[in-house]
Amino acid sequence: MKKIFRLIPVLVLLIATSCEKLDINTNPVQPVTTSSNLRLPAILGNMAYHAYSHARYSSFHSFYLTSRYNTLAEEARWDYNQITRMGAWRWHYFDVGSNCIGLIERAEEEGSHNYMGVAKIILALSYLTATDSFGDMPFNQAYTGTFNPVYDPQEVVYQGVAKLLDEGIADIQRSGSGAQVMNEKSDLLYKGDMSKWIAFAHAIKARMLLHTANFQDGYDEVLAEAGAALNGFGDAIFNYSTAPTKDWERNMWGPTIPRPEWNFADIVNELNNTVSTDFFINYMKVNDQGLVHDPRLYKLTTPGAKNAYNGARASEGLTVEGWPTPTTPPTMDDFANLYNGYWTADNSPYPLFLKEELYFIKAEAAFYKNDKNTAYEAYRDGIMANMTRLGVASADIASYMASSKVKQSAGELLISDIMMQKYVALYLQPETWVDMRRYGYSATAYPGIYRPLNVLPEFGDKWIQRFPYDPQTEYIYNPQEIKRLGATARNWVLTPVWWAEKSQLKN
Amino acid sequence: MKRRLLAFILGLLVSIPVFAQQRQITGTVTSAEDRLPLPGVSVKVKGTNLGVSTAADGTYSIRASTGQVLQFSFVGTTPEERTVGEADVINVSLKADAQVLNEVVVTTALGIERSKRTLTYSVQKVQGEDLRASNQANIINGLQGQIAGAQITSAGGSPGLPSEIILRGVSSLTGDNQPLMIVDGIRVSNASTDGTVNRLADFNPEDIEDISILKGAAAAALYGIDAASGAIIITTKRGKEGKMSVNASLRSYVETVGRLPEQQKLYTNGLGGTFDESSVSSWGRKFRSDELIYNNMERFFQTGLVNDVNLNVNGGTQTYSYYMSGNYRSGSSIIPNTESDKLSLLIKGTANLTKKLELTASANYIRNDIQEGLVGSNSGGWANSIYFYPLRYDIERYQYENGNPYYEYFEETNSQTTARISPMWGVQKNPRNSGTQRVVINGNLNYKPVKWINLSYRLGQDYYNQGYGNVTVAGTPGFMDGRIYESKGNYVNLTSIFNSTFDREIVKNLRGTLILGTSQEYYEGRSNTFSGENFLVPGVYSINNIAPANLIVAEGNPKRRRYAVYGDFKLDYKNMLSVGVTGRNDWTSTLLGDNRTFYSPSVSGSFTFSELFNNRGDWFGKVRASYAKVGKDAPIYATNTVLTQYFGIGGGFQNNATGGNPNLVPETTIEKEYGLEFSLFKNRLRLETAYYDKESNDQIITARVPLPTGFVIQTFNAGSLRNRGVELSLSGTPLKNRNLTWDVTLNGWRNRSKMLEFPGQIEVFPYTFGQPYSAAIAGSMINMPVLGIIGIEYEKNPDGYTVIGDDGYPVINSEGRQSYIGNREPKVNFGLLNKFNYKNMSLSFLWDFRLGGDVYNATRLGMISRGIAADVGEWRDKEFVFDGVVRQPDGSYVKNTRVVPLDYNYFTTNYTSVGTNFVEEVNWARVRYITFGYSLPQSLTSKLRVNSLRLELSAQNPILITNYSGGDPEVNSAGPNAGGGGGSTMGVDFGAIPISRTYSLGLSVGL
Repeated sequence: MKKIFRLIPVLVLLIATSCEKLDINTNPVQPVTTSSNLRLPAILGNMAYHAYSHARYSSFHSFYLTSRYNTLAEEARWDYNQITRMGAWRWHYFDVGSNCIGLIERAEEEGSHNYMGVAKIILALSYLTATDSFGDMPFNQAYTGTFNPVYDPQEVVYQGVAKLLDEGIADIQRSGSGAQVMNEKSDLLYKGDMSKWIAFAHAIKARMLLHTANFQDGYDEVLAEAGAALNGFGDAIFNYSTAPTKDWERNMWGPTIPRPEWNFADIVNELNNTVSTDFFINYMKVNDQGLVHDPRLYKLTTPGAKNAYNGARASEGLTVEGWPTPTTPPTMDDFANLYNGYWTADNSPYPLFLKEELYFIKAEAAFYKNDKNTAYEAYRDGIMANMTRLGVASADIASYMASSKVKQSAGELLISDIMMQKYVALYLQPETWVDMRRYGYSATAYPGIYRPLNVLPEFGDKWIQRFPYDPQTEYIYNPQEIKRLGATARNWVLTPVWWAEKSQLKN
Repeated sequence: MKRRLLAFILGLLVSIPVFAQQRQITGTVTSAEDRLPLPGVSVKVKGTNLGVSTAADGTYSIRASTGQVLQFSFVGTTPEERTVGEADVINVSLKADAQVLNEVVVTTALGIERSKRTLTYSVQKVQGEDLRASNQANIINGLQGQIAGAQITSAGGSPGLPSEIILRGVSSLTGDNQPLMIVDGIRVSNASTDGTVNRLADFNPEDIEDISILKGAAAAALYGIDAASGAIIITTKRGKEGKMSVNASLRSYVETVGRLPEQQKLYTNGLGGTFDESSVSSWGRKFRSDELIYNNMERFFQTGLVNDVNLNVNGGTQTYSYYMSGNYRSGSSIIPNTESDKLSLLIKGTANLTKKLELTASANYIRNDIQEGLVGSNSGGWANSIYFYPLRYDIERYQYENGNPYYEYFEETNSQTTARISPMWGVQKNPRNSGTQRVVINGNLNYKPVKWINLSYRLGQDYYNQGYGNVTVAGTPGFMDGRIYESKGNYVNLTSIFNSTFDREIVKNLRGTLILGTSQEYYEGRSNTFSGENFLVPGVYSINNIAPANLIVAEGNPKRRRYAVYGDFKLDYKNMLSVGVTGRNDWTSTLLGDNRTFYSPSVSGSFTFSELFNNRGDWFGKVRASYAKVGKDAPIYATNTVLTQYFGIGGGFQNNATGGNPNLVPETTIEKEYGLEFSLFKNRLRLETAYYDKESNDQIITARVPLPTGFVIQTFNAGSLRNRGVELSLSGTPLKNRNLTWDVTLNGWRNRSKMLEFPGQIEVFPYTFGQPYSAAIAGSMINMPVLGIIGIEYEKNPDGYTVIGDDGYPVINSEGRQSYIGNREPKVNFGLLNKFNYKNMSLSFLWDFRLGGDVYNATRLGMISRGIAADVGEWRDKEFVFDGVVRQPDGSYVKNTRVVPLDYNYFTTNYTSVGTNFVEEVNWARVRYITFGYSLPQSLTSKLRVNSLRLELSAQNPILITNYSGGDPEVNSAGPNAGGGGGSTMGVDFGAIPISRTYSLGLSVGL
């Protein structure tokens, strides 16, 4: 009996000495941190996915695309009440943002100010891309751990973006020899060329300032930033593998309809069921002697089965205005194939910021500064840069530039010329949706624009203005902020974001 | 010691007892009270190992010589002894022992056997034979209706689908809500990974002696860390003293499809009323008279055949006993190309090494392979492809004779292919295969130095490997070049327990029991998953046939260690008054610093008031009460954030989507329980009731978190919820005479839960895998019952009438998403088990009643969206006036009178957007099983030279009466713990495969 009680201290000792054995809660098969150069590629790749996750829907809202199905909720009806997740929200805060924050922390420890600056610039671009679709969003309380952060007004987010860009430039400029090397392996945009990163930062700022210049009297600043950007600018293009084998190496617009892992489920492309709108095709028609279409049409798309280039009414399925009755209705064969165009092949590059956008920013700003000559010059530069990029033959460029589609003197230039050319140059990019909303979808800037027929009837005569926040998280954890913003309403997507509300360019 | 062990082993091998001058003694054993024959009475020759049991008619036959003593013993009776004299026939009648009349022994926490009479908390016992009679391969399903307070739902009628058991309501919002599973004292896995079968289904129901269900926290408090959800204590059979007995059985099951949802048979493919071959919907024009309409649901499901062979051998002497069994079960299912194949071997032996030292060891090997044509993953919706398939196509037409895919629709426009193929293609070509091999070993050494002290040490390990995956063959739309996915893992759970029990009468009439113990548990998993696309050589389905660049490989290595010390002290006064306290301290590796250790106390008491009365031998009455607080640790590796590889261009690392949380603290559950037990008419009627109130705080939740945190998923503490309920178990023997016995057990229960508090400002919490459509989802809402349906409803005016718009259609509430529109917990459940024994025949059947509780019929929602639901056939394009009111310019409301068509637009944009249209309050009455058995009389069996021969006819789920509009309303779209995503998806019908109606024929022989 006594023996048993003697066992008790032994047991207690056993427990006490075992506590070290409890320190096994760190996953042995995953790293906890890694050097800056190993973190940057994912950030850049995710930024391309982030931009795409906006374009996935905005391309329908900005009249590039329309589905053969006239009942698609988000694309045809502007009905976002059915969605369970909003991918773009995650792509910003998690896939790009949290990794930028992680890189900034690590780069600071390492003394790699080059990486720190680059991370801030990408974070700024990601915030700008996100807020332009979502409006108000957490900035100051983001990444603080709180489950119900305050949604900052878009104006505050814009200030934050500007600050990130300024800091990013300053960080790059103070980067010394102790920094991790940035080269073509880690920097998939500029191969470590820091002057290009600085130019890129100015370009992002020019893009942002243009959104507010009309009501903040900011065109001088826009011109200054665009000028700084054009000084040594290199296209911010994310290149996918030229001969991709995995979905991770493919452009999301590509014909294999990449599904790299589960988290892409809601942003896979639907171009196989999609055709060009008549709004897009009509502008691509030149109808001059010897020049039927804008030569870029054959670069942006590939020929359909019937080699026909019809445009369908937005949201109305395969409805073509003026289609002769009673013949068979149009089929997919009567339209251009949207795959394997310049931007829509599996190995296409993904544009984050193109030089032609800078030219059109400059043109628009100068136009409103009444500097028509500068505007006209930039307008022509923009068209030519885009044509050259798409590989249009120089003879075709010349004949297009001389065609009736292109204004031949500064005096004739209308704002619609600039905006429609920008529209073509930024094919499928979410920035076009920003422009259209900035102009309140006005026919002045976008001649021939019309409200799609199959939008939910309960939406009255209003236009789509934004994305809803992620229903899976924000509406659940932050109901008071969501309610304060009014984002629970079924028609929340019709409420203009700050710069669209304030815009003086509508009508 | 060593010599004894050797002797034991030798004894096992060569036990050939020899006796001289023996002759055959026969006789009948009857009950002294009612003169009825007593079957199963142990008859032994005193001082030898020789023993038999009486047959169903009370007769026995044993070899003995003159002068030897026969011992007759039977549970609940006073044993008798007779010396063998001249007579060859010795008849005995046994008297009921008043003292042991109520002496039912149950296995409580840590395998400690206690008398139910003085138990201070609720424990319900299910006998192995009742489990067996249910004829379910999955033990969990076999418990349906047999336990008051257990909500058991199977995820559907395919053999690889898991079942979920929840005791006393959901206590953890995203963690494991299933009780702890203990087999012979060690913890075994009941995991269901990625929608694979719950691993308790590996065990052979035939091996089970009984199952004790510790429903409340007080009963399970000694298990501490996992006690919040109760515990299921399974005891396997052990060898019985006496000569070797051999039992063999063969059963054949015929499975037929259960209740299915209904389809319309009027309209063909298309959208918006026009025929469109490219569409997968059935919103086209009406079928023409010359078009064939295929009844695809009927054509798809088939009749399954399952065979089950079982053999066991057992026996023993006073010093050792052995039990050995083998089971092989194999067969097809109602779903084509679905097969299951299971082998189980169990060896168990006990040896009394000395009078004080007993050794028990067992090893169980299981192989369980399942091929499933239709299911896979944990998101549910498996049968949707069958229910949605347009009726103008023949579901059985999926390939050409050469095996090439037969596309019903194929479009190649602009280099793009759109292909549609019968779902049978996937079923036949791309089934999911899962395979497990499992070894459970268990050793226990028991030392009893003196009568009142018992020391035991147990070491056990549950080891299994599991692989599952599927191949998508080339030619499958979406993966034209093929795809492979596979997950393989090894999992081990090691338990070591030391227990010391001190049990003695301290002073007269006061008995004290003290248990002190310590336990150690280690869990480790090691798994690999790989996926790849594009097979290089057609027809070879292996990762070896995929370019390395196209492969993605990942490894997992979860580890967990836990220690505990515990104590249990109980005082019993005269079998009348009992008081018990327990305490347990846990240390776990899944929490950090001070949070890693926590204490779980309980206190309980009972008062047997019938002891106050003189006629206490005739009845029994007891009240009891208990209080317990138990803790629960966090999931593995939830305390820190790691990086994960980036597969895109440039490689490197990115943040893992799951963020760590170093501040996690244990979740606690506090439960109060009150009970009343009665036994009347000399134990012919027994009643047991319980009321409990359970509150779980600091919920450990793993969920999607707001993305501005920088994480997608995180584990955090917050929120509390409550379950309150009543349980009632009434059993009795209304009829008992010479030939006929009728036993009835009625189990009834009701659980009401409430979400008391959420983290931060959360008002609604969705379950990750319970969201088939945005019109309604499975989730919890603050201040509402926990297992809710959250969704969109129509706008109501202040008087509660539906608001109808100017266009004549009901208006969807513009502040949608957040309304609580259904409670998936049944209002009341009843299980009614009847058992009849008439001479050599037995009949048992179990009725299962469910009253109230909502089911979310997302299957119907999907079928209406696709235009194929029966309702669409009935209502489409009909004129209709919606019942509701129209708002007038002055703000008043008048009754709607506008006639509008129920057109395509209405169904697809209005009707299917509103969750309340798909919430149904469901009642059912169903027979879970009927089993009829016939044992051949001894006169016949002796001619056949066997001890017993039994024929059995049985049916599972033969009858279902319900008001539900869909298929079988027993649904659980994502399986246990809502597919691991939290809560439960019971009551969510999303493409559910109905539970099969099964008929079986069995033959068992005893040698």
